[in-house]
Amino acid sequence: MDVTREQISDGLKRARYVTNERVETAIFLALALEKPLLIEGPAGSGKTEVAKVLAEILHTELIRLQCYEGLDEARALYEWNYQKQLLRMQAGEQQGLRWEELSEHIFSREYLLERPLLKAITAPSRVVLLIDEIDKADEEFEAFLLELLSDFQVSVPELGTLKAHERPVVILTSNRARELSEALRRRCLHLFIDFPGTEQERKIIELKVPELDAKLAAEAARFVSAIRKLGLRKPPSIAETLDWARALVRLGVRELDTGAVRTALGVLLKHEDDRAKVESKASALAPRTR
Amino acid sequence: MAALRDQLVSFIAALRAAGVRISVAESIDAMNAVAAVGLERSRMHEAMAAALIKDEADRAIFDESFNRFFAAPRAARGEHPDHRGEQVSAGGGRGRPGEVPIALPRDDALASRRDEKSQPPPEAKPSKKTAAARGHDTGKEKDAERSHAARRESDRMSEREERRAADTRRESPAPGIDAARVARIRAIERTAFDKFSDLDYDEAREALAPLIRRFRIRLGRRLRLARSGRIDFRRTIRAAIQRGGALLDLNFRARRPRHVDLVILADISGSVRYAAQLMLELMAGARGCFRRVSSFVYVDHIAEADFEDGHLVMTPALDLYARSDFGRVLGELWDRRSGLLTRGTIVVIMGDARNNRLPARADLIREIARACRAVVWLNPEEPARWGTGDSAIKQYAREVKAVVPSRNLRELQAALAAIA
Repeated sequence: MDVTREQISDGLKRARYVTNERVETAIFLALALEKPLLIEGPAGSGKTEVAKVLAEILHTELIRLQCYEGLDEARALYEWNYQKQLLRMQAGEQQGLRWEELSEHIFSREYLLERPLLKAITAPSRVVLLIDEIDKADEEFEAFLLELLSDFQVSVPELGTLKAHERPVVILTSNRARELSEALRRRCLHLFIDFPGTEQERKIIELKVPELDAKLAAEAARFVSAIRKLGLRKPPSIAETLDWARALVRLGVRELDTGAVRTALGVLLKHEDDRAKVESKASALAPRTR
Repeated sequence: MAALRDQLVSFIAALRAAGVRISVAESIDAMNAVAAVGLERSRMHEAMAAALIKDEADRAIFDESFNRFFAAPRAARGEHPDHRGEQVSAGGGRGRPGEVPIALPRDDALASRRDEKSQPPPEAKPSKKTAAARGHDTGKEKDAERSHAARRESDRMSEREERRAADTRRESPAPGIDAARVARIRAIERTAFDKFSDLDYDEAREALAPLIRRFRIRLGRRLRLARSGRIDFRRTIRAAIQRGGALLDLNFRARRPRHVDLVILADISGSVRYAAQLMLELMAGARGCFRRVSSFVYVDHIAEADFEDGHLVMTPALDLYARSDFGRVLGELWDRRSGLLTRGTIVVIMGDARNNRLPARADLIREIARACRAVVWLNPEEPARWGTGDSAIKQYAREVKAVVPSRNLRELQAALAAIA
């Protein structure tokens, strides 16, 4: 594919996605080798964002398939629009159409409900296909997906085989709710995105919440990465860090002291026991009262 | 270029030898990846990682081997020697500060392979032989090695924690907490119970929380995915509305948990106590999947067991250092049979059946098996050792439905899931 590595890192910068060499290289390879990219990492570390940003860089559409338990082909690939077919048949009867004429008609693309996977395949140009939280889907679905990802073609019995004009860029994300099969891993490139380091998080805060004082941003980043190490039930994600930073701006916090930390903690922590844990250590963690 | 290809091939071989599973397709990917990003060291590093390493737990091995194979040309590139270590870690924003080389046995294997490649010594033949033998050994003694690795890993963890505590000011990028944890869980899952130390047990306890969750999901998922059984009318009719009232798709009601009563009987005498406690805890977490779970522990007597805040509570308390007496224990279980052993009961016995040459009373097992649905024996011992010395497992094996080896957490989980 005609994208250079520099274009990727420029694009990421322009899309205001703070990243590192590992992420850039993996994205570049996914494009260069035309392979699906499997992204793993804790919730809220920016996995889904990669796909969104990538669609932005390539100036193309993002097609998203959200996986859940019980997801089947009808929801993921295609389904006939029964209601519409029924209506057409009733209308046809009144017109006195014969069955041959009718059946040719009601099994055309017009009556096909395209679900995300088929949409990605039939798209006229290259799109970004995001298969989100693949670990939530059942194993059978994973097996079905393998077949699709290897040659990007689907056969609909009534219509014949549909093949992708241009292979979509495929991003899969997983939170490790269950282990994915070796077969799937083998076919994908792999990228693990962890929570950003303090420095990287500071950059993210500065980029996304420019209103926040630079010194405060650095302190906030340090505070967040410190509480992530406390072994909380749900460590704060990047999005929550940003919400918190915005909250600090709104609250007019000038100094990140114990009191300021306590007031807006609910933005950062979503479990009562986590909150209690951090509050008990707030004085030690807050940068101002050291 | 051919030289580079050879280098890559032997690098991949070394990774495989270290226990990373890499397919041929993946190695071809790696070559293509290198061709695509070029030879700049850190890019090549990340590119190959993306193509070869599909599990973050293997990342440490990869990083370490990469540094061995593709040493940074410090002087030539004018890099600061101090930066070299960071180069790898800073790339991911998750460098592991103070990373110590991984398990030594592996290193040795890697090193020997590499040395052989780079400068074949005059006595090439014998050395190759030893290397092959060693490769064989590593395969064979993988379990032992893993347990070593796990232990060393745990030492390293505590060491790292100390360092972190001592040096709070130093702002390191958040280390791969998640990845390290996953690696630890994987290692501990494969550690044989008989090689467990107290430290390992604590680690396993820590690892158990996600395992319980996974275990419960696994049990639960199977129950939900009913393909047949009772029809769910509401959902069937709703689906039929779409098709003009034609009952094309039958929707089935998710099967309720089978009416399974579980009686767990676990040996907590010295030799197998870790296995027994972990099993009890695992099953306590999955309690909701059964109608009733009664847990007992035993050494020479039987006692009711319960878990409170992760601690095993038994009534009455047992003498842990008594001599195991399976015959008497089975007798006591038999005495309590009313209300406990029904046709819907599955009895799970965990123990090594080492009976100190006391009467085995396999006849009681037969009676128990007749009274309930099934008796399954989980044996944390090596199958090769079954029936040796004072082990009475061969006698019991004739009477129970199955004797399942459960030497480590992984096997234990699989065995329990199969039962339930």
